Amino acid sequence: MQTLSMHVNGSPITLEVEPDASLADVLREQLGLTGTKIACGEGECGACTVLLDGVAVTSCITPAMKAAGRHVQTIEGLGDQREMDVIQQSFADAFASQCGYCTPGFIMATKALLAENPHPTREEIMQGVSGNLCRCTGYYQIVDAIALAAKRLSKEERG
Amino acid sequence: MNAVVGTSRPRTDIEARVRGVTRYPQDLNMPGQLYGAVVWSAYPHAIVRRIDTSEASALPGVERVITYKDVPVNRYGINTPDQPVLVAEGDRVRWVGDRIAIVVARDLHTARRARDLVRVDYEPLPVVSDTREAMRPGAPLIHADKPGNILYHIPIRKGNLQEGLAQADVIVEGEISTPFVEHAYMQPEAGIGYIDEEGRVTVIAAAQWPHDDLHQIARMLNLPEDQVREVVPAVGGAFGGREDMYIQHLLALCAYVLRRPVKMVFEREESITHTGKRHPFRFRYTVGARRDGTLTAARLELVADAGAYASSTVPVLSNAATFAAGPYRIPHAAVDAYAVFTNNAVTMAMRGFGATQPPVMYETYMDRLAEALHMDPVEIRMKNLLGDGDIALTGNAMWGGVGAKETLRQAALAAGWREESGHWFKPDVGQPSAPYKKRGIGVACAYKNVGYSLGFDDKSGADVTLTLGADGSIARAVVKCGAVDVGQGIVTALTQIAADVLGIDPWRVELVPVDTSRVPDAGSSSASRHVYMSGNAVYQACQAALAKRDEVLRAETGETEVSASYVYHGRSRRPTTPFDPETGQCNPHISYSYGTEIALVEVDTETGETEILKMWAAHDAGKAINPAMYFGQVAGGIHMGVGFGQTEEYLQIDGRPRTRRFSEYQIPTVLDMPKELVSVIVEVQDPTGPFGAKGLGETPTLSTAPAILNAIHDATGVWLPRIPATSEEVWRALQGQGARPS
Repeated sequence: MQTLSMHVNGSPITLEVEPDASLADVLREQLGLTGTKIACGEGECGACTVLLDGVAVTSCITPAMKAAGRHVQTIEGLGDQREMDVIQQSFADAFASQCGYCTPGFIMATKALLAENPHPTREEIMQGVSGNLCRCTGYYQIVDAIALAAKRLSKEERG
Repeated sequence: MNAVVGTSRPRTDIEARVRGVTRYPQDLNMPGQLYGAVVWSAYPHAIVRRIDTSEASALPGVERVITYKDVPVNRYGINTPDQPVLVAEGDRVRWVGDRIAIVVARDLHTARRARDLVRVDYEPLPVVSDTREAMRPGAPLIHADKPGNILYHIPIRKGNLQEGLAQADVIVEGEISTPFVEHAYMQPEAGIGYIDEEGRVTVIAAAQWPHDDLHQIARMLNLPEDQVREVVPAVGGAFGGREDMYIQHLLALCAYVLRRPVKMVFEREESITHTGKRHPFRFRYTVGARRDGTLTAARLELVADAGAYASSTVPVLSNAATFAAGPYRIPHAAVDAYAVFTNNAVTMAMRGFGATQPPVMYETYMDRLAEALHMDPVEIRMKNLLGDGDIALTGNAMWGGVGAKETLRQAALAAGWREESGHWFKPDVGQPSAPYKKRGIGVACAYKNVGYSLGFDDKSGADVTLTLGADGSIARAVVKCGAVDVGQGIVTALTQIAADVLGIDPWRVELVPVDTSRVPDAGSSSASRHVYMSGNAVYQACQAALAKRDEVLRAETGETEVSASYVYHGRSRRPTTPFDPETGQCNPHISYSYGTEIALVEVDTETGETEILKMWAAHDAGKAINPAMYFGQVAGGIHMGVGFGQTEEYLQIDGRPRTRRFSEYQIPTVLDMPKELVSVIVEVQDPTGPFGAKGLGETPTLSTAPAILNAIHDATGVWLPRIPATSEEVWRALQGQGARPS
């Protein structure tokens, strides 16, 4: 076992982890943050996407120890008790979720995408989430949701 | 109170989904739980001589290795119980998805390590991996009681084939085939088996038909059904792949043997290589028409690979046979459909249920006919499409609002076709983006049943309880119905239907989570049936509850709660009948939904790469209960159709999986989808459906692949002998090299 110290959704956490544990396993099994999903286990589908210091990573193939001293943000870290985050709200409003299993990964990928490019074109949105797989929606309503979130966020920005 | 049906209400559970707090089976844990791992067959065909569990049992942390000796009744399978739960010594494994044992340990890591320590002596048998080989005289038999490895043969005879062919001015014929397809739902198989507080063997798992699982588990454990229970949390996609048990029986067995909670989670590789698939089909087709485009005759041969066990193959093949010639009037026809056992993956239900493969044949051959007759592809279809009362292949008069022509008309007009005095004219497809690229446009129609067919007593139950205010107003409505939301949104649709019938706001309606101990059997989330079947059940139960409410008010009893139950039987208004064994004539289906899709593609003639620039889709759902969710079904169906048509194939070599991961099994990404999708809602109501609704879940997948193939032909002049039309396959065809051997 190794000692891992990191920030998860803003809170400092120290715990003992298996040296070969993935970040996804530690989040899900040791911290109970099951919003991060495992679907392929090989970094191919994006369901396990979390932010590591603001950068989207596939946590199923990211060694947990790689998060040492860094900030991890998961789907549970978005929004608060009363309100959903703008991206979450936009996914809800645009019917971007069916079975919902890929949804947290898409939302976290969107978070990273919009942080880097707040005014993406539709093509840029598609490129930005092309690493995330969805088997239910055909993606159109997901792309709509991301465009809606970008629009809402830029309005917020302008006040 | 405004109408709720027909409006785009958000999903009732959407906030939990986007917040990531929705719990799927792998997200759940119980105190003191153990972990199970399956020992899968190492051979596609072999006799199991000996199973030695001693080494695995001795590994520290292993609690138990469960084998066939622990299974009270070692048989299961939806429709046909021909699969061993765990294969016995002296018995046979018939594919690599057969199970030898379940290792249960204190943690998952130990369980997975220990499964490699279970020693199994196999005596390998010859492997049959091709339906043509399997049907040959002298081929090894997969099941001793099935000569020629033929599980099922359906003949359909209509009119006089020879006479019909003699009437034809043009005849086209040929062959085409479709591949094994993986459901690839995003949530891998997982769950927990435990003994609940009332002593029942309980399973938590993602299921499509929990009450059928219940029957199967009770049979397997030789227990009365009231001592078994299945709880369905959130389901991460299903598409038919969860219609038969895949983990439910194994979890139940673990709980039954160990009397402790046991959790199991499959890895993606286990999910891909050890669970059921869509049936691959080989088609041989002869179709004739008069000079004016009127179809005169069709001769069809369909051969489906059933894999190692029956699962849903018989009803899938039955569906394929009834839809074999498409939604057209054909006076003379002969169909022979065969399902053949092999040592390949078990094949089962998958979106479209046997209605998905035939359009790849009948719609591409319709375009060949049109080309031979120099007719517009829309025009030839319009001439032959079924209308109300027209006689289908099986001799029945079509009922329930036949929207086939309306979907074609709407899609064609949206895509730019012109209609002038009964003739249709194709739009200009524009200039390709590079000199080495070619553009083409292709159309395809299809149809599919709603509900269970061929005399089966399809039924769904709903219980409704109303809490009343002093003035008799409805404060709350609690609906119990075993319809599983696999992602399609049936809970929201039923909420809308209940709210509309009761005349209340949808937030006052609550659907109780699916648990066989709490909700009535509603049948499976399959056959595009829940809006129609469970929608009718909820509709009727709500009306009965309203009548009781009125009675309570009249009698002034002061009661504050009324309840009503209703079981809707499809045959109450739409009796269906089984195939005549010789002629196949019957009245097969309760209701139907129809669809047309049109694809505009650009083919790179140097690489074969085919880009779908735009797609138009018109689908007849009878009534779109929720238009935004209607679009979701259309777009998701097309996604699966694009994969079927262009990218997806589950490969096996001699019964051994070659496709093991998502990196090898390519479901379309956002970049592979049509750049633009235009969806036109068509509502030709079925008077027996709730608010006129039929169903929609499957039809959007049916037309996509043939529309793409027809567009590729329009662009390049080549026909492909098989799908998926990968870049390589298109490139080969363009080189005139023919297809790679299959």
